[in-house]
Amino acid sequence: MRHLISILLQNEAGALARVAGLFAARGYNIESLTVAATGDEEASRLSLVVYGDDAVVEQIVKQSRKLVDVISIEELTTRQHVERELVVVRFAASGLAWANSHARVLSSGSDQCVAEFSGHADDVDEFLTQLAIRATVHDVARSGLAALAS
Amino acid sequence: MNAQLDTPGDISSKIHPRAGQALTGADVVVQVLADEGLDVLFGYSGGAILPVYDAIFRHNLENLRADGSEPLPLIVPANEQGACFMAAGYARASGKVGAALVTSGPGATNAVTPVRDCTADSIPLVVISGQVPTASIGTDAFQEAPISTIMGACAKHVFLVTDASALEATLRTAFYIARSGRPGPVVVDIPKDVQNTVVTFEGAGELPVPGYRARLRAIEQTPLSDARCAEFFAALKASSRPLIYAGGGIITDGARDALRDFAHSFGLPVTTTLMGIGGYDTTDPLALHMLGMHGTAYANYAVDDCDFIFALGARFDDRVVGVPDKFAPLARTIAQIDIDPAEIGKVKQADWFHTGTLRTSLERLRAWGIAHGFQANYSAWHEHIGQLKSRHRLDYDRQSALIQPYAVIEAINRITRGHAIISTGVGQHQMWSAQYFDFCEPRRWLTSGSMGTMGFGLPAAIGAQFARPDLVVIDVDGDASIRMNLGELETVTTYNLPVKVVVLNNVGDGMVRQWQKLFFKGRFSASDKSLHKKDFVKAAEADGFGWAQRLDDPAAIESTIAQFLAFEGPAFLEVMIDPDAGVYPMVGPGACYAQMVTGDFIASRDEVPAAPLPTVASPTGMF
Repeated sequence: MRHLISILLQNEAGALARVAGLFAARGYNIESLTVAATGDEEASRLSLVVYGDDAVVEQIVKQSRKLVDVISIEELTTRQHVERELVVVRFAASGLAWANSHARVLSSGSDQCVAEFSGHADDVDEFLTQLAIRATVHDVARSGLAALAS
Repeated sequence: MNAQLDTPGDISSKIHPRAGQALTGADVVVQVLADEGLDVLFGYSGGAILPVYDAIFRHNLENLRADGSEPLPLIVPANEQGACFMAAGYARASGKVGAALVTSGPGATNAVTPVRDCTADSIPLVVISGQVPTASIGTDAFQEAPISTIMGACAKHVFLVTDASALEATLRTAFYIARSGRPGPVVVDIPKDVQNTVVTFEGAGELPVPGYRARLRAIEQTPLSDARCAEFFAALKASSRPLIYAGGGIITDGARDALRDFAHSFGLPVTTTLMGIGGYDTTDPLALHMLGMHGTAYANYAVDDCDFIFALGARFDDRVVGVPDKFAPLARTIAQIDIDPAEIGKVKQADWFHTGTLRTSLERLRAWGIAHGFQANYSAWHEHIGQLKSRHRLDYDRQSALIQPYAVIEAINRITRGHAIISTGVGQHQMWSAQYFDFCEPRRWLTSGSMGTMGFGLPAAIGAQFARPDLVVIDVDGDASIRMNLGELETVTTYNLPVKVVVLNNVGDGMVRQWQKLFFKGRFSASDKSLHKKDFVKAAEADGFGWAQRLDDPAAIESTIAQFLAFEGPAFLEVMIDPDAGVYPMVGPGACYAQMVTGDFIASRDEVPAAPLPTVASPTGMF
């Protein structure tokens, strides 16, 4: 099952590695990860998506909560929450017209254009699928989720 | 929270005499170690930790005690694993935080095994490691290793100090984290330039670590409500065969008295885990000794028979529960208290649980039960337990012409009577020691329980002897385990410690052989040492042991052991034991207690059928 975990972490060297290590030690691959400073410069917000057995993930969450640098941790999957993801994509100029009406075009040239799109992860998937029907997609940079309990 | 900790380091209420002084980082390290109340350090020198070693030298010179002794003696081992296990042995025997100082690179990587060992057994330890200068980190400098990354996965916490002004608060915080909550090892990695930087010593202050402190406060300050107490006793009332299953948390939390009083007040029998040994007097009538893979048969049968099991600071480890679904199969209630929320329901779902400190929780429950007139008559259950203890008592081949290891331990025990400190390596001798020694008090049984680190016994005994010079310290070791840290024999004599070392020599890796016999058709792959040339007695003599003997005559057990233990200085005894002696009972991997193999000399239920279980709910004056 998909688990969306939100962690408030002290901005210390190695803190992120220790959280990631708890997942890696069980052979769990982190599907997506977003980390950035919060308003408090001492703390970072980390949003993490992982697929795995419910009981195992629950145990990882409990053990993450023991890490000294973790200020708070919660699983958002089972709670009311909002989640957004950003994608920046480089594609052939033939897709420009469609992209203009469905995304925000950041640059456009005679051969290639770059656009950004944000939304729920499913919407991002759909956007990329539709774009690929209309133009060759060269590069994709996805942000990973940013999520908060709502 | 650790009630047994005195806090000479708590100087928050008064101004530190050196506050405001300009000190190098190295001097700050030594001053904080002194403030923390340490009276001994363990460590091995090297380039990246030299400034701290020099600071210790100067500190000891300037602060010599009236009797000429050093306030912070630095004990030098054969290698850093030894140093850290000494510090761990010191911590286990005293309840205080142990400290080790190692250099960068190989010095610090040699500390990885004991650091992980301390995490796994919840032992408070601070390891200070030198690191290459800040500017050289990441350049593959000489003796460089990524210690904060490596230790981050093994330790309770790790600090890499890159800012000298944060060093003092970081060190104090390291001790706080090591001893608080569920204790564990903390590594402080200090680049050499930080050790040489001059800073203003504050004399107080820690890092905020807000999340950790908030969680700890929440756990320590959440009392058991009346409603929760009532739920607990309602479940206990409904049971006729309750059993306490106590782990290392009892010892960590200084909850021995609270456990004894609770068990005695309500008449609950007590079995302990390997780590819990000593948390409940094994000679007490309600004691069932150890449970689990090599637990006593009567403890394991009692677990099978109980209808209420109360886990205290115990984590349902795989060596205890075997098959989780089949553990305590008749228990209608599983109750659990632990300081670590991650242990609640991890393996077995608890019907009643409390996250909190054991001592205060048990005192609260007991007071509530007494105040509400809880009385239960478990006499039928006690009688049943008594039958289990007599029918399925530990036993061995008493007619053998070969020395039986159990007999050696019994002979030592007849002299020490449950009051000596016993440390062990890992394997058969460890399990025999756990089974056949009495332990009347906590912190007398030092063993690598979770990690199972061979080589633990000798350095742990050395550290314990520094912590408790007043007690007899015996390392009961195996011929394979002791080889792992054999270099520390010399450490025993260098510091003239009266440590007693017993090697139960069965010429190989006995526990491995036992499993190979049972599960690999007797193919003794790499576990036989009959062609090995080691003469242990000569080795001990070469390292300066004034008393070193080999015992191979069963008739001489009593007299030899009496001489051995009576010797005033370091003494070494090699005992040639029956190489086929096994550890029984044994609950095999993947088996449940009902499938326990008891061997040829302990009665199993296959031979002595179980008595009918007492089922009538006990009459009680409560409710």
